[in-house]
Amino acid sequence: MKEKVVKVPLSVDERWDLIERISKQTVEFGARKHTLKDAIAELTVKPLTGIPVAIAVIYGFWSFFVDFAGTLFTDGFMVRLFDEHWLPWLQSVFPGGLGNKFYALMVDAGHLEEGVRVASDNCFEAFGVLTSGLFVVFGVVLWAVLAFYLMFAILEDVGYLPRLAVLVDTVLHKIGLHGYAIVPTFLSLGCNVPGVTATRPLETRKQRFMMMTLLAIFVPCGAQIGIMQDLVPEMMGWIFLTLAIGYLGFGFILNKIVPGKSPEIIMDVPPYQMPTLRNIGRKLWIRTSRFLLVAVPFVLLGCLIVGLMYLTGAMDWLAAVLGPLLMGWFGVPAETVAPLIAGFLRKDLAVGMLGGLMEQGIMTTFQVFTSVILLCIYFPCLATFALMLKEENWKEILGSLASLIAMVFVYGGLIHLVGIMLGVA
Amino acid sequence: MNETEEKFGAIYFAVLGAVALAFGAAELIASAGEGFTWGILDSSGASDPMFLPWKAIILLSAGFFYLSSVKNFAEIHQLAKAVMASIMIWIVAGMAIWARIAGSIPGEETWFNSLEGFLASYAPPYCPEMFLLPFSLVIVYYILKERETE
Repeated sequence: MKEKVVKVPLSVDERWDLIERISKQTVEFGARKHTLKDAIAELTVKPLTGIPVAIAVIYGFWSFFVDFAGTLFTDGFMVRLFDEHWLPWLQSVFPGGLGNKFYALMVDAGHLEEGVRVASDNCFEAFGVLTSGLFVVFGVVLWAVLAFYLMFAILEDVGYLPRLAVLVDTVLHKIGLHGYAIVPTFLSLGCNVPGVTATRPLETRKQRFMMMTLLAIFVPCGAQIGIMQDLVPEMMGWIFLTLAIGYLGFGFILNKIVPGKSPEIIMDVPPYQMPTLRNIGRKLWIRTSRFLLVAVPFVLLGCLIVGLMYLTGAMDWLAAVLGPLLMGWFGVPAETVAPLIAGFLRKDLAVGMLGGLMEQGIMTTFQVFTSVILLCIYFPCLATFALMLKEENWKEILGSLASLIAMVFVYGGLIHLVGIMLGVA
Repeated sequence: MNETEEKFGAIYFAVLGAVALAFGAAELIASAGEGFTWGILDSSGASDPMFLPWKAIILLSAGFFYLSSVKNFAEIHQLAKAVMASIMIWIVAGMAIWARIAGSIPGEETWFNSLEGFLASYAPPYCPEMFLLPFSLVIVYYILKERETE
């Protein structure tokens, strides 16, 4: 008679015990002389030595980003190219001139000075598809994204990213995520679209939902960072601190209220190696070209839609309707409506629009800070949202949207409150 | 690594560690106020006020790493600490040099800087990490020595 076998699933602890027993029977343990590379690899994952190294690596990353994208390309060449050559040339040859609707959409809507409409003298203010649109993409964003992906590819190929994941594992455990979450987070700092895609290896729906929601709300993309760095370099530290507090704080709350499990994952930590120029070049080309394919149409479309809304009076109507809410709850002027609408399409474009408002002296420094944070957290850009629709089911999408709305009101109001208490709002 | 090399390494990196620590502390104090410029040493953070405390923490850490590597310097894990300290200095000093290169290429009024303007961008004063950079390169000798024995 055949004996009936009952399969009982193993608990997590039993599985680990089994792994240990098998490894004891099959793996030979012996003394192995450590090499210098091994010793360095160990130092970079131990918190006491690993954290200072991580601080240095992130410093190098950020410093290169600022000087490559900001100092050298955008401020060094692109601002001059667009403001001193491209804008005046278009203003002189494009048919129509100030007051013409097509000209306003494509080149320069101008602005009022003592009741007289005057031409813009920089591409942040002009807000035409061919001026601000192209300046945002090719004058600022391209160099920011290029710098980001270059550094990212180097860190990836050297083998540092998995070590960073090990280092932050303890902190991220507190919010129901694992060290691996640093990979989608870092990727999202380049572009949220590949960041959301990189959440796929996470095991449970809870982890994926949490990760996608946190990325969509609190992680600005490289393009947006590039524009922020160009507009408000002195505020970057505060902006990142505010977003990091939100990421961890909101992650902690989500972990408590979202049902589901966050099981352990095992990550391979490869040895350090020298990156190859061919690999770096290939990654850089693939990522940057894909980014531009997504970004360019949305930025140009964003410029067009916002321009049309201004021309038809829809923007003024929206500003009148939403103005009291924006001013009363968030402490930002009604004019912020236009960037917030543009932000549905592209956040970088929206931050660029804030630059125009700053130039016109409409906002105080604290209002600029609040607006930049609001633009980060209020809604993911359209490309990211489209991907989230694909990756999440409708319940999760509704959950993400509900989280977004709650987060914007709570966090935005809190920032305003802090400003009032400090006497700066 | 023979005994003389080990002894020299221990003393050398102890001194370098103390100097890195002093520079880090000075930058940390400078970041709280207006900063300082002393002869050809500049810690004003005029061009990058956000980076000054960040750099100070890195230099302090590098100093601690060097000092903690001194005891039993030839041991591989101890040597690794000195290597990591040097890499941290290379990162901050490398970025300081990169910032000068990036700032020296575009001109004020013209597309590209003049030769005089370009060269003037590399004139002193220099930040502390740039002074530490050449001295930290001594670690390359010890890395090569270690490779010979691997």
